[in-house]
Amino acid sequence: MTQGFLKILVQLILLLAVSPLLSGFIKKLKARLQTRRGPGLVQPYRDLYKLLRKGMVLPDTASWLFHATPYFVLITAATAGLMVPMLSAEAPLGLFGGVLAVVYLLGLGRFLTALAGLDTGSSFGGLGSSREMTISALAEPAMMLAIFTVAIGANSTSLSEIARAAIGQQWRFLAPSQMLAFVALFLVLIAETGRIPVDNPATHLELTMIHEAMILEYSGPYLAFIEWGAAVKQMLLMTLLINCFWPFGLETSWSFASVLASLGYLLLKLMALSCVVVLVETTNAKMRLFRVPEMLAVAFTLGALALVSTFLF
Amino acid sequence: MNEFFNPEFGNKVITLTAALVLVLQIAGAGQRWIVTNIRVFGVQSFLLALIAGAIAVFNHAPHLFIAAILTLLVKAIAVPIFLERLVDRIGIHQEIEPVINAPVSVVICGGLTLVGYIVAESFYQPEQTSGPAALGHNMLAVAVSLFLIGFFMIINRRTALTQVLALLSLENGLFLATISLTYGMPLIVELGVFFDVLLAVLVLAILVYRIRETFESMDVSRMRRLQG
Repeated sequence: MTQGFLKILVQLILLLAVSPLLSGFIKKLKARLQTRRGPGLVQPYRDLYKLLRKGMVLPDTASWLFHATPYFVLITAATAGLMVPMLSAEAPLGLFGGVLAVVYLLGLGRFLTALAGLDTGSSFGGLGSSREMTISALAEPAMMLAIFTVAIGANSTSLSEIARAAIGQQWRFLAPSQMLAFVALFLVLIAETGRIPVDNPATHLELTMIHEAMILEYSGPYLAFIEWGAAVKQMLLMTLLINCFWPFGLETSWSFASVLASLGYLLLKLMALSCVVVLVETTNAKMRLFRVPEMLAVAFTLGALALVSTFLF
Repeated sequence: MNEFFNPEFGNKVITLTAALVLVLQIAGAGQRWIVTNIRVFGVQSFLLALIAGAIAVFNHAPHLFIAAILTLLVKAIAVPIFLERLVDRIGIHQEIEPVINAPVSVVICGGLTLVGYIVAESFYQPEQTSGPAALGHNMLAVAVSLFLIGFFMIINRRTALTQVLALLSLENGLFLATISLTYGMPLIVELGVFFDVLLAVLVLAILVYRIRETFESMDVSRMRRLQG
C-alpha cells in the first residue's frame, strides 16, 4: 500500500516538475532553429511562479464554473498522467482504468475549459470554445483508431499491458500497422497540444487562436494552473506516443536503479520527439482553420488503415 | 550478415515500404499543389524501385535489378523532371480543383484500400512464411488499392495534367503487382512497358499543351463542346 503510494508520488512529482521544463526546451529549441536566442530553459518555471503570486481579475459575469475549471484542468491532466507508463512499464494507477480513461479524462478537462470559455460571455471565449470542440471532435476518432491498433497488438486496453507487449517485440515498430498508427497519433498530438499547423501556442493576438482564445479571461493563479495543466497534458501525450511505440530502455520493475535508467531514457526520447515537433513547427506555416479538418481526415484514414492492417498484414 | 539477408526480415522491410507507397498514394489524392503532387509521385516511384531491389536481394531474383534501375531512372527521375518542366512552361501554379473535396476524397481512398484488401483476401496463405506466396497477399492488396485510387484520382480531377499523374500512379500499382507476385515479367516485356510509359508521358504532355493552347485552360470538361 505504502509502495503504491510512493510510486504515485514519484510519478506525480516527475509530471509536475518536468513538464514546464519540456515546454521550455521546445520553446528554446524553436528559437535556436529560427536563429533567435530565445528565453532560458527555466522561463516556464519563472512564469508559473510569477502568475501564482499575482492577483486575479475576474469577469463580473463569471459563475462557479469559471472558478472550478483551472483546478479540474490540472487535476484531470495529472490523474491521466498517473495512468501512463513513464518510469516503468507498470503505471502507478494501472488498475484504475485503461487508455480510454486517459483519453476521456483529458476530454473532461477540455470540455470544462470550453464551458469556462463560454461562461464569461466574451465573444473571444465562445469563438475559441467552438473551434476547440470542432477540432477535438475530429481528432478523437483518429486517436481512438490509432490507440485501438496498439491495444489489439497487446490484447488489452491497459497501458501497462501495451507497454509490456511493446517491450516484448523490439522489431514490432517495423510493422506497417504500427507505423501508420504512429503517424496518425503524431498528427493527433500536434492537434491536441495546439502546435503550429493547427494552432499557434505563442500568440494571444491572432484572430485564428484556438486554445488561447478560450482562456483569454484567466489571470493570476488560475492561469498558472491552466498553463501547468496544458504542459502536463503535452508531456503525457508525448510519453504515451514514446512508450507505446518505442519502448527502448523502459524497465518493467520499480527498483531504484531501473527507475533511474528509465528516467534517463525517457528524457532522451522526449528530447528527440521534441526535436521532431519543433522541426514540424518551424517548417510549416499555420494552416487556415478550414484546412485543419483535412489534416485530421488524413490522420483518421491512417488510423483506420492501421486498424485494418493489424488484421490483414 | 546472414541475419540481415534472411527472407523474413526482407519481407518485413518490403511490406513496410509497400505501406509507405500506399500512404503516398493517399497523400497524393489529398494533395492540392500540382508540383507537390509530381514530387509525391517521384518519391513513390523511388520507393517502388527500392521494393524491386529488395525483392531482388532477398529472394535471389537478380533480373529484378534491371527493373529496379529502370524504374529509378525513368519514373523517379526522368518523368518528374519532365513534368515539372511542363508545369513551368505552361505556367500553371494554381491549386488542383478536385470534384470531391480533399478530406472526403482521402476518406474515400481509405475505403478503396479496404476493397483492395478484401479482393486480396483469398490469396492469404499464412502457412507459407517466405517467397511470393507470403508477400503476395499484402502486395496484391496494396497494388489493387493503388490501382483503384489511381482510377478514383482520374475521375476526381478536372485538369489533363493531373489526370496524367493519376494514370502514372495507377501504372505503379500494376508494376508492384508484377514484381511481387511473379518476380517480374520477362525482360523484353518489362522494357516494352517502360518505353510505353515514357512515350505515353511524352504524348500526353504534348496533348496537354495542345489542349491548353486551344481552350486556354486544361479543364477537360470544356472539351464536351465540339468545335467545327
